[in-house]
Amino acid sequence: MNSVSRRRALKTLGAAAAGGALSPPLQAAGERLQPGRQDAISSDALLPIAEAVLPGEIGVDGWRDATTAFVRWIRNYKEGADTDHGYGNTRIRSTGPSPARNYPAQLADLDEAARAKGAGRFADAPIDVRRRIIEAALIAAKVERLPSRPTGAHIASDLMGHYFNSPAAEDRCYHAAIGRDSCRGLPGSDQRPAPLSGSRQR
Amino acid sequence: MTHECDVCIIGGGITAAMLSEKLSELRPGLKIIVVEAGERIFDFEDRMQHRQRNLDYGENAWPGDFIDDQAAQGIISRTMAVGGSALHWGGVTNRFSVEDLTLHSRYGLATDWPIPWSDLEKHYCEAERRLGVSGEPSPLADDRMSSPYPMRAMPLSYNLRVLKAWADKSGIPFWSTPQAKNTRPYGGRSQCMRCNTCEICPTGARYSPDFTFKQLLAGNKIELHDRTLVRRLVTGADGKRVVSAQAVSRAGNGDPVEYRARTFVVASGYCWSSHLLLLSASPQFPNGLANRSGLVGRYMTGHAFIGAQIELDATLYPGMNEQHSLISRQFFRCAPSTPYVRHDLRVWESSAGRDPRLKNANGTVLLGDALMADWRSRTVRGAARVRAYYDVHPARDSALTLDPAHRNRYGDPLPVIHHVLDDATKARAAATREHIVGVFNQLARAQNGRVFGVNEGHYLDHPSGGCRMGTDPAASVVDSHGRAHDHENLFVVGSPTLPTGGCTNATLTFVALTLRSAAAIAS
Repeated sequence: MNSVSRRRALKTLGAAAAGGALSPPLQAAGERLQPGRQDAISSDALLPIAEAVLPGEIGVDGWRDATTAFVRWIRNYKEGADTDHGYGNTRIRSTGPSPARNYPAQLADLDEAARAKGAGRFADAPIDVRRRIIEAALIAAKVERLPSRPTGAHIASDLMGHYFNSPAAEDRCYHAAIGRDSCRGLPGSDQRPAPLSGSRQR
Repeated sequence: MTHECDVCIIGGGITAAMLSEKLSELRPGLKIIVVEAGERIFDFEDRMQHRQRNLDYGENAWPGDFIDDQAAQGIISRTMAVGGSALHWGGVTNRFSVEDLTLHSRYGLATDWPIPWSDLEKHYCEAERRLGVSGEPSPLADDRMSSPYPMRAMPLSYNLRVLKAWADKSGIPFWSTPQAKNTRPYGGRSQCMRCNTCEICPTGARYSPDFTFKQLLAGNKIELHDRTLVRRLVTGADGKRVVSAQAVSRAGNGDPVEYRARTFVVASGYCWSSHLLLLSASPQFPNGLANRSGLVGRYMTGHAFIGAQIELDATLYPGMNEQHSLISRQFFRCAPSTPYVRHDLRVWESSAGRDPRLKNANGTVLLGDALMADWRSRTVRGAARVRAYYDVHPARDSALTLDPAHRNRYGDPLPVIHHVLDDATKARAAATREHIVGVFNQLARAQNGRVFGVNEGHYLDHPSGGCRMGTDPAASVVDSHGRAHDHENLFVVGSPTLPTGGCTNATLTFVALTLRSAAAIAS
């Protein structure tokens, strides 16, 4: 995001916050969704989407963690890397173009849809409107299921898939510190996972 | 360039690792050269990073472990590197049973193996020691071992403890599946950290042949020539002995490389072993080497499988360790008076039907809290994955052949594998399926369960065969030590020599057979 855009975004965001369009935690988000280059997408800019599609129980810190992890994933994506060639149906394949190539246009479409509903842009819209916009966008994009990894089909479903398929989300679902993908060691691995702090054991 | 040695081992997988290790012990000073077409991936220090990239992006955790144009139709793994498929393996080290060696005499099916069980059993113990197997002895008397596993069993995860309590209620005994994974520091490798990614073990706790090769190289016990593709074996004028292996260097400009040795051992796995022998056709041997019987590339085998998911009343936490499983060998035996069906039975934790989803059963898009609530509602009951590998027998026409339409960069025709089951196997297929699904239902009933997602494998797992062993030169390619009936200094070891594929993971079995061959090769 260039400096002009950033100043405009801050001004706009401030106005939106003053008008109560954003939830209070998001008023701190200092950037708007930027329908520009993929590397211009910041984690804060995704917070208006995160608030709409991720669980409310994880709160703004959880949304911020999720968007930060998502943006990190995007930035570290390598095009043309060899993928697992699998077992059974073995096939040599490589990763395709970054899914983020599609995001600027999708973000622009979200803004356009918000404007059609009377909001200045997507981030300005009330959360129920943002959800309706995203739902319509996912249907239009023919997204049927959460992707196990971002695909570029839609930035909202990619963010959802990235979060909901994460070990953190699984722990949250089960209210337990399962710690999938961690190297847990042998001692204690025969014990029931500890409850998440603040959660009741299932 | 020409290299001379005592033993030239062609192929750098788990059988080559075990064979070269044992040969170097039996005959110190023996000059052994291991020739492998793929690369050596000795990057242990990078494996945690590769693991993470694999988890995050699905990238190959073993970068460079294949050769672009060295592909086969019908192959189930493209891995071609020092370590072979055992770079990726799950480390499961089940034994076959005496029934596998006596199918014909006991049941009138397939063929008998040319070795007694007691002989194989002794080498199972050796294989378990060399690989470093952690296991729990089977409670079945027929599974008696002459030596205990070298390491205590992998502890059951919480989920497996819950699942074992359930499965035992069915009346079928289950226990911890033996694995080549360290439950204590062993063989210069660390204790398992339960990273749940055994296909890329970042700690070295799961046995992998690269460790053996590195140890042998450090001790100057072998030479390892990687990126060197052997294209032909050449016999002397009388045809009785192989005198050279003609190869090409993939590291340079395709320079020819020749190996001259007293003994040649083909240890190139179920696909490339037969392929090399067929490629070695000459005017003297127009059907390839070791192939007077016409059986090189024939009786390609493996085991078929049926899997399912079982939903049951249990509180489980998927993700603790999907790699480890319970096993039962209850169905390894089959009374000759009953319809023939033999299979193993495994149980894993599962998240099937319990993953987050974008749309509910009505097709409504779920966002945020609604999605989480839907997900939680489907995790109240637990799930288990079950699978049975079952015994099938190959027809003679179950074959690997050369496909002149597909060639590598050197112009060599590539293999195509087409599995065909024998008539007896086909005739009992429906009854086998009915029996196995019945066992799954027996398990489900033990705890108010429900079987769903029954699926049948569309390939034979743990493939083997193509150079089957036997006593009759007209009905087999090699003898029980892997020596070719037709050439006195040519051996084939490992999975190609199996006459039948058993009903459980085969790696330990062909490693044991290879260790048994070592004495004959050394002499």
